[in-house]
Amino acid sequence: MIEMVRIILDSITKKFDDFIALRNISLKIEDKEFMALLGPSGSGKSTLLYTIAGIYKPTGGRIYFGDRDITDIPPKDRNVGLVFQNWALYPHMKVFDNIAFPLELRKVPRQEITVKVREVARMLHIEDLLDRYPWQLSGGQQQRVAIARALVKEPDVLLLDEPLSNLDALLRIEVRAELKRLQKELGITAIYVTHDQAEALAMADRIAVIREGKILQVGTPDDVYYRPKYRFVGGFLGNPPMNFVDAEVDAENGYLNVYGSRIPVPAQYRELVEKLGIKEVLLGFRPHDAEVLREKREGLAGEVYSFEPLGREQIVTVSVDGAFVKVFAPEGEHFSFGEKVTVELREDRIVLFDKKTEKALEFLV
Amino acid sequence: MNVKREKLTTLSFFLSPMAVMVVLFYLVPLIMTVYISFTRMRNWNVSKYLTEFVGFYNYHRLLYMFQHDPTFKAVLLTTVVFVGITLIINVFGGLALALATFFIEDKPASAFRLLWLLPRMSPIAVYSLVWYYFFHGSEIGTLNSILMKLGVISQPIPWGQIVPWGAWSIIIFVNGLVGVSFGMIVFTSALNQIPKELVIAARVDGASSWQISRRILIPMIRWHLLYVLTWQFLSLLTTYPHLFLLVQWDLVNGDYGTTLALYVFNTAFGMGEQDQGLAAAAAVLLSVIGIIGGFVTLKVLKFERMMKRPRGDF
Repeated sequence: MIEMVRIILDSITKKFDDFIALRNISLKIEDKEFMALLGPSGSGKSTLLYTIAGIYKPTGGRIYFGDRDITDIPPKDRNVGLVFQNWALYPHMKVFDNIAFPLELRKVPRQEITVKVREVARMLHIEDLLDRYPWQLSGGQQQRVAIARALVKEPDVLLLDEPLSNLDALLRIEVRAELKRLQKELGITAIYVTHDQAEALAMADRIAVIREGKILQVGTPDDVYYRPKYRFVGGFLGNPPMNFVDAEVDAENGYLNVYGSRIPVPAQYRELVEKLGIKEVLLGFRPHDAEVLREKREGLAGEVYSFEPLGREQIVTVSVDGAFVKVFAPEGEHFSFGEKVTVELREDRIVLFDKKTEKALEFLV
Repeated sequence: MNVKREKLTTLSFFLSPMAVMVVLFYLVPLIMTVYISFTRMRNWNVSKYLTEFVGFYNYHRLLYMFQHDPTFKAVLLTTVVFVGITLIINVFGGLALALATFFIEDKPASAFRLLWLLPRMSPIAVYSLVWYYFFHGSEIGTLNSILMKLGVISQPIPWGQIVPWGAWSIIIFVNGLVGVSFGMIVFTSALNQIPKELVIAARVDGASSWQISRRILIPMIRWHLLYVLTWQFLSLLTTYPHLFLLVQWDLVNGDYGTTLALYVFNTAFGMGEQDQGLAAAAAVLLSVIGIIGGFVTLKVLKFERMMKRPRGDF
């Protein structure tokens, strides 16, 4: 764990017969970084993780741990810890033996095994459970055992394949915070596969958004959340996700026509729109980057379609000439169905996408 | 009270087909066998001997034969050796095949498994005939002709007439080959139930295929092992069709090719003097051995722990 472990994926491709699971994936994961691979199911994120672990051999491309090319090295010599969604604990072994198993395979002396297992068990608060069988534990406890087993051999890299998705919602949020802290305390390079955008945003240093075997965007949670490179990224992250509406560019007057409403082209895009000479765009904005106002102002004119109070705030769905957008509004404001309103957008947070490629304009050039 | 009665009606309705089967094909023959073992029944002369009780006479004869008759001693010894060794081959051969095919790719694995099913699929007579010619004592025997061509032997060897191990080897080989497929199928399906993540996790931690088998796969299918062990033990104890043909065709020695099950059959239905009383006594002995064997697996090996109590609410 002392050496620097930087992972470099160099144009990784993986084919299963005719099916291309990974397409030319290049990614750099820094030492001690927490990288999330985020994507819908079937996007290839787990395949990528298994390729890094060595369970799948890439059809093309190289993988490096630090300076070492490990593409052709078997999994056991890569020194990775792997945690699975179903935890994969050996049901016939007690917790102690489960955690000790990787060390036994390495022929570590018995005494040292006991010390190390106790140490990692203490770290994960499961030292009282060592004498039990997996089926005698709760989901959360089994999860800790699985992490302990992955950590006990002091791996260079910790690989996690949706480790929280089998836990119930409340527990998931609790473990999330703990796992993040643990990773930083241990200073271990971690790759975390998830389809849950909230998990990725909450835990990762950087997120790689994957779809159909391709990496769409890599960046900090802030980057991918506020500056999505593709419409898909904006729509996949956030709950509710980004709103998208069609807009026509009126370059002469510097306006965008959105279903009969007119709003100025956002300052950050003025030059770009002119340069690209683009006529039709997709306007994206986050539900919390807009306000629902009763008075007539510059913005999207529409009427209240529905509203959902959530305690601290509420989600108001506004129909803008037939297109629905969702906007957060403070609690205590009362709306009624069909009420005429204006949705005022926070200009600097607006993202414009090219309609054809669905790529954000700033990434077009 | 009424509810209880209604339940009883439903219960008996669903259980009756099975109950009838058990009574008709298991309980009645069992009682008849025990009954006949206490009579002097011979040559199926029912009207004459059915009511002629001889007490434990037939059992005494068995005991006497056990002490003094070399043929019967050979039969008992053959039974022990045959059941013991074939059982080991069946169970561990099946396990080895299942594990071996578990670690290779799907397509070649299923082709390989199909190959091992062939002996089970072919009719007993055809299958036995194949091995009849293979082990035949003259130069037409495949084994003999191969060995003679290779110059290992100059004269054909009547393999099945070498007692005891020549005869034993052949009957064990022929039955062992039929039996492995059963274990293989059961173990393969059991292995496929194991989440693949367990194997992946062990691989990543550095386990070899052998270590994965020994530390993870085999412990996880131990109930299936126990089941196949019990099942094969009981079926080997009572099987005789292959043995019957091999002895009938004079491929193997009659004494060292005959197990207790075949002995029962020959004594009751064979050529010449038929002695159903004695055969029934031997059959009862065979059943007792089977019951004890089954009981041992049930109790000592804690087979009952895998049987979960039903959780239905009634």
